[in-house]
Amino acid sequence: MRSGLGVKAARIAIVVALFAIWEILSRTGIVNPRLLPSASDTLATLGDLLQRASVRKDLAVTASEVVTAFALAVPVGALIGFLIAENRYFAEVAKPLLFFAFSIPKSIFLPMFILVFGVGFAQKVGFGFFSTIFIVIMSTTTAVESVKVEHLTVARSYGATPMQTAFRVYLPSMLPVLLEALRISMIFNLTGVILAEMYASRDGIGHQIATWGENFQMKQLLAGVVMIAAIAIAFNELVRWVETRCSHWRT
Amino acid sequence: MQPLANITPLKPAGAIEVRNVGQVFKTTTQDVVALEDVSLDVKPGRFVVLVGPSGCGKSTLLMMMAGLRQQTSGTITISGAPIPEPDPNRVGVVFQEASLFPWLTAEENVEFPLALRGIAKSDRRTRAQDALKLVGLDGFGKRHPHELSGGMKQRVSIARGLVQDPPVLLMDEPFAALDEQTRMTMGDELLRIWAATGKTVVFVTHSLTEAVYLADEVIVMSPRPGRIVDHLQVPLPRPRTYEMLSGDTFGSLRDRIWRHIRKSA
Amino acid sequence: MSAATLRRLIVISLIALWEILPRAGFIPELFLPSLSSTLAAGWNEAGEYGHALAVTLYEVAISMAFACGGGILFGAVVGSLPRPRILIMPMVSSLYAVPLVILYPVFTVWLGIGSESKIAFASIYGFLPTMLATAAGIQTIDPQLLLAARSMGATLSQRLVRVIIPAAIPTVLSGLRVGGALVIVGVVVSEMLISSAGIGYLISRYRTILDSPHVFAGVLLVLAMAIAFNAAIKWIERKAAIWQTGTRAGQSAEETVPAALQPAT
Repeated sequence: MRSGLGVKAARIAIVVALFAIWEILSRTGIVNPRLLPSASDTLATLGDLLQRASVRKDLAVTASEVVTAFALAVPVGALIGFLIAENRYFAEVAKPLLFFAFSIPKSIFLPMFILVFGVGFAQKVGFGFFSTIFIVIMSTTTAVESVKVEHLTVARSYGATPMQTAFRVYLPSMLPVLLEALRISMIFNLTGVILAEMYASRDGIGHQIATWGENFQMKQLLAGVVMIAAIAIAFNELVRWVETRCSHWRT
Repeated sequence: MQPLANITPLKPAGAIEVRNVGQVFKTTTQDVVALEDVSLDVKPGRFVVLVGPSGCGKSTLLMMMAGLRQQTSGTITISGAPIPEPDPNRVGVVFQEASLFPWLTAEENVEFPLALRGIAKSDRRTRAQDALKLVGLDGFGKRHPHELSGGMKQRVSIARGLVQDPPVLLMDEPFAALDEQTRMTMGDELLRIWAATGKTVVFVTHSLTEAVYLADEVIVMSPRPGRIVDHLQVPLPRPRTYEMLSGDTFGSLRDRIWRHIRKSA
Repeated sequence: MSAATLRRLIVISLIALWEILPRAGFIPELFLPSLSSTLAAGWNEAGEYGHALAVTLYEVAISMAFACGGGILFGAVVGSLPRPRILIMPMVSSLYAVPLVILYPVFTVWLGIGSESKIAFASIYGFLPTMLATAAGIQTIDPQLLLAARSMGATLSQRLVRVIIPAAIPTVLSGLRVGGALVIVGVVVSEMLISSAGIGYLISRYRTILDSPHVFAGVLLVLAMAIAFNAAIKWIERKAAIWQTGTRAGQSAEETVPAALQPAT
């Protein structure tokens, strides 16, 4: 269902109103401006930060950690997910274990990654991988299970080869679910890496945000929050846009 | 709760009068005329079936008779008084499947309308048990809906519609979700209950066979805008039997309805 | 071998390996202390862990009241009103993509490093998914049930108490489960980051002095807490399922709550 222009305008109005309230609260001094710098100040600081070489370097570090963890977790997780979904016995054995592993809080294992990998790139990637892999496995099994048996039967009855079945039945059926999985995996991945940076690190944007917080640099801190939020939302919306393009035939 | 119940009806209980009723749905882009100038008289104790293709407004008309929706123009009276809101003392409604509350037992489902009115527990129980007995579900009162078959669920729904003893029973495609055999059996059961209680029944269906088999009168409707295109009397004697389905009278009535529907489709 | 047997064997051998591998020196005790030394470490400092557990549980309880209470309430309102739903829901799920942990430093600046900042953070952390789950679940209430109740003359408050609330119980429970798990994560994570008390604080403190057995004792305690919470909600869900099975509203929480709403990190 497409949302109308009016709805979009209303949404933009809500966001603008929130920023306006933020601005007013700070400017009028209802809230101490040292605790809550105004929205305009924060945005100006954000522009400033983006010019700084150190901040750019932090962003680059974080990006490389996120991409590496993602690039490792998605294929490995997808492979395990396929194997589980394709074998009934294996699925019965593994699924409850996976559900369990999925539902326990991952962050408490963060110290273990530091003990094993020290503080650095490997630890961030390791923890990002660990935070992401379970959701990838679960989503892949869901994606494979979303392929309708009837469609496979039809393909077989017309003499489709395994290759043809893979590309003409499995892939198109799974595409929307896979994209959704990619989107959610990225949320988990980003959260994992940033948490790992905030917890113990020498660089990365998460580390920088934690440092600003410890030094009570509210302008920089809020600018950092706005920056991360904007990046996360932008990525999320991009994948969702692709999703709606790919799943137009879905009801 | 029911100020209208105190009005002395001019018409005998159970009469339904529909006068020049129209219904317009407003959407953001255009106005859709769902019903146009529909007039209809149902005498007390008659079994009337509304039939027509999808979108002909037959369910809308039923919802207006139940007070669940208001017409844009015209008047509807039940037992001589208009029905601006649902009044379970005058009208009982039976919906398609799944309108039973899954967290209540069959008995509690039937008691539900009585409980809304704060009737004492013991009184409720007796009346619910009587209603369940009437629909042939004696002894199933303690079961939950998920423990009942589709046909049994609809029997519970009918019992719920009858528990306050309203003179009118409105049924919106009540057997649509049932398989063919259960559907036939439920039709016979409904006719038995109807004969035993003498209610006025207005019954909406898609099935031509069901329409002719059950009805005293069949109202045929056409879509865009919804209006009445034919009003047939079914001269078949009662009780109806399975053999009548293959008779000439049955066939010609069915045929006449089908011609209307094909024309409007 | 049946799947369940193999699964049990896997779990047992994992636990056995946890004991054997570090003892035999295949894994350094620094990386993974053996099960027995972990339990011994926890036992020796039982008083300290007990005190930390009390702090953490207090924070979890208050955050849960905020997150689940607010999330369920707000989700129910947004879920049942179509216009706000269309307007707000996509915005809320966009917000869900933001790694909320970056807000924690803001709360420590505003509220200090005591319990207040943990409670504020964990409440926000648990709020969004609870709200999304509740809003999604409210929409699974069958509109036929509400229509049926209305046809029986149920007033607005009667519909709320007798239809919407019972039909929403499974939804509320799954909201509680998702939100509660996240609140536990939120409290422990914030304690690990900056604090002076609680299990998360103990884990971090022992980590900085490289005392692995004590780190793992803390980890085990948090795991036990999460598992106990999950089991408690499952138990309530089973109780509630007795009168909910076989209906739309009664689908198990696993099916109605999308994977995205499960605990992040």
